[in-house]
Amino acid sequence: MGIKKVGLNRTVQPQTLKEKVLFLDFMKGLRTTIKHLFRKVITVDFPFELIEPAPRFRGVHGLRNVDGTEKDDFEAWVKKLKIKPPEPGETRCIGCKFCQAACPVPEIFVIKTEKLDVPEDHPYHGLKVLSQFDMDLSKCMFCGLCTLACPTICIIHTDIYDLSTYTRNGWVLNKETLSKIADDFIARRGKEKYDDKSNWPDWQKIWDDRDTARAKAWDNNPPRLGPNYADQH
Amino acid sequence: MSWITLDKINRLKEKFDFVQVNENDKGFHSVEVPKENFKQFLKFLKEDPDYQFKMFIDWTIIDHGEKADPRFQGILILFSPEYRERIIVKTWATDETLPTLTDMWAGAKWAEREAWDMFGIRFEGHENLVRMFMWETYQHHPLRKDFPIRGYEEVELPSLNEEERADQLEGLQNYSRMHTALPTMEDIEITQRKRLPKKKAQIVLNWGPLHPGTHGTIWFLFDMEGEYVQQCDIIIGQLHRGVEKLAENLNVQQIIPYTDRMDYIASINENHSVCVAAEKLLGIHEKIPEKAKYIRTMMAELSRINSHLLWLGTYALDLGALTMFLYTFREREKLMDIFEGITGARFTINYFRVGGVYADLPYGSLDAIEHFLKDFPERLKDYETLLTRNRIWLRRNIDVGIITEEDVYSYGLTGAVARASGVPYDLRMIDKYDAYGDVEFDVPVGEKGDSYDRYLVRVEEIKQSVKIVQQCIQKLRKMSKNDPFFFEPEDKKMKITIDGRGTKLFKGEVYAGTDNPRGELGVYIYMPKDGIKPYRFRLRSGAFYNLQIFPKLMIGRPIADAITILSTIDPVVGETDR
Ligand code: SF4
Ligand code: SF4
Repeated sequence: MGIKKVGLNRTVQPQTLKEKVLFLDFMKGLRTTIKHLFRKVITVDFPFELIEPAPRFRGVHGLRNVDGTEKDDFEAWVKKLKIKPPEPGETRCIGCKFCQAACPVPEIFVIKTEKLDVPEDHPYHGLKVLSQFDMDLSKCMFCGLCTLACPTICIIHTDIYDLSTYTRNGWVLNKETLSKIADDFIARRGKEKYDDKSNWPDWQKIWDDRDTARAKAWDNNPPRLGPNYADQH
Repeated sequence: MSWITLDKINRLKEKFDFVQVNENDKGFHSVEVPKENFKQFLKFLKEDPDYQFKMFIDWTIIDHGEKADPRFQGILILFSPEYRERIIVKTWATDETLPTLTDMWAGAKWAEREAWDMFGIRFEGHENLVRMFMWETYQHHPLRKDFPIRGYEEVELPSLNEEERADQLEGLQNYSRMHTALPTMEDIEITQRKRLPKKKAQIVLNWGPLHPGTHGTIWFLFDMEGEYVQQCDIIIGQLHRGVEKLAENLNVQQIIPYTDRMDYIASINENHSVCVAAEKLLGIHEKIPEKAKYIRTMMAELSRINSHLLWLGTYALDLGALTMFLYTFREREKLMDIFEGITGARFTINYFRVGGVYADLPYGSLDAIEHFLKDFPERLKDYETLLTRNRIWLRRNIDVGIITEEDVYSYGLTGAVARASGVPYDLRMIDKYDAYGDVEFDVPVGEKGDSYDRYLVRVEEIKQSVKIVQQCIQKLRKMSKNDPFFFEPEDKKMKITIDGRGTKLFKGEVYAGTDNPRGELGVYIYMPKDGIKPYRFRLRSGAFYNLQIFPKLMIGRPIADAITILSTIDPVVGETDR
């Protein structure tokens, strides 16, 4: 640890007469640029060629449905919040509003549950279902706090990044749309991101290393991914 | 820790009977002096050989609420380069006035204008006390506690959709036609006149607010005689979003994504400042898990490389070297890929948390970073071949915008700007936060303080960052995948969560920060009692104070130097305006 002095005459020599007269500084510069001239193209031909976002990428939200990969305490949460036990294919959301509480801009969410209208002797009597879940993504800053707060890993970030619409209204997504987004994402890339208990596994990769579009940015020589830590495989 | 010792502070009390010492259990002691003796006391602090608090850091206000009397308190933070210590001096602003400090530290000029703008405190003796961010005819002082967080919604502003396409938007989620006040053309004209009250020369040239050379929305006024600038002023605030006000209504983890939007080029470093400050307030900074410390150090340095690459590219572009821009952006792209994979976002990162980081490194991260570092030094050499000894580069940079050591102290300059003037002020060395105490690196310092030195210092900083990242990787490789990356408090009273819900701050105050690519981003948190929301959350922006010296450097220089000087000071508007 120390102090390193830099400056003209300290670490950089001023131009010599020879360099000045023969324009050696420009020559050297030109040599560099010519060297780079023969390198491969690194830009991606968007929109014909797309880079697949990383598994952790924080894009448009989705609401996951029950698919058998819930965490062990899922049932306990359902019971605690007096929610009708969801069938497979129904939303995992239990209306706990933890996501809204964690969000720096809580106005984004409108979350409502309603009591089921069933006779008194019905087993679901007194239980609730999620009736409304709207998100106004025009106010969202994609910080990821809501997804970390969700106890059932219901609200997630997907890899969708193109969310422009013609009206403000187009940014307000309701629970059906959000569910569809999540289903589509989980079908495509769920295995890359979650293990069978919906947690982030330690084999979750920094990005898909077979992505040829991404490889272009790395001069067609992308890094070979391996374990980070001594005891990881 | 770089703070004044209790012993030294008590000696002040013996010397002056009006001094009141506030002890702090985390070591951030402060002194309080009455307004009448304030200047006298500061003069002593600045000049006495045992103290030498020469360097200006920050000067701001706390509003103690409408019921308190006196209501406002001035907070001055100083640094002693000799003893590497900081001190907080407080004084009550009775009658909503305070004496000006501009005659002692030139840096106080903008600080006082900001305090007037945000709190409505008048500074007696200030040469031109105009607003800093808002326009001159604006009526309110937004950081006062009685100003509502949503502002006063005074003007009706229907959406263009509604006006032109007759879309019925009312009733949609969150749509309201009422907005807070906006400046009209007249307001802007009045503002501009007040900034340059006395014209010296013939022409006033407006540069900005939307000009590619300003790298953001800054508005420069040059009062010019021929090609030479006689007088200069800067109007900022077009990007002012009131981050401090927002922060005072959120819990500390929720503040972090807002800081992403300040210095959006180095958002990791901005996050880092908030984390370090809040951890120091809670007294847990030393107890953060080793793994988190090294990950944070590594990411912060990668972010510094990223930021300096962007700076180098755009700076060279501004001076006419377009190739550099393309070359640096190519390397930057790889870094952005790494950030995307590890943190989930390319730009607005929000990866650090008070207490660690939100997730462990994903599989393959260290390999990707190593792969990037492998050919990076060669690229850096290419950049240097193109620029460092190029005759045009030398002519346009050498002896342009010389900043002296005195200026550094007086204006409170930090970061590479200070170091290029020969002041080895680097918080990584002084505070040794996170893992900086355990890695080897050098702090580059310049000689003359001209633009060329600032260029050399930043390029050297990139090399040092590479060195730090390599050491962090080596260290991380030896760790286990099961090592914690987030701090679990044993103390029952403390609650820290990754998603922020319920994260509590303790009573007390703290000033801490990190050394960011654009200078020191300091965070001052004041908590009168335990709670979730910080009562006063001050962001001391390095870019803001660095930009302040620009008018001084421009006087007597030709207009073409404005580009060079601005680029080497390297402010980012998101952070100057907050
Ligand atoms: S990503 Fe952040 S801002 Fe967006 S909804 Fe979630 S918590 Fe709120
Ligand atoms: S936190 Fe999850 S389960 Fe709770 S309301 Fe939000 S999305 Fe639904």
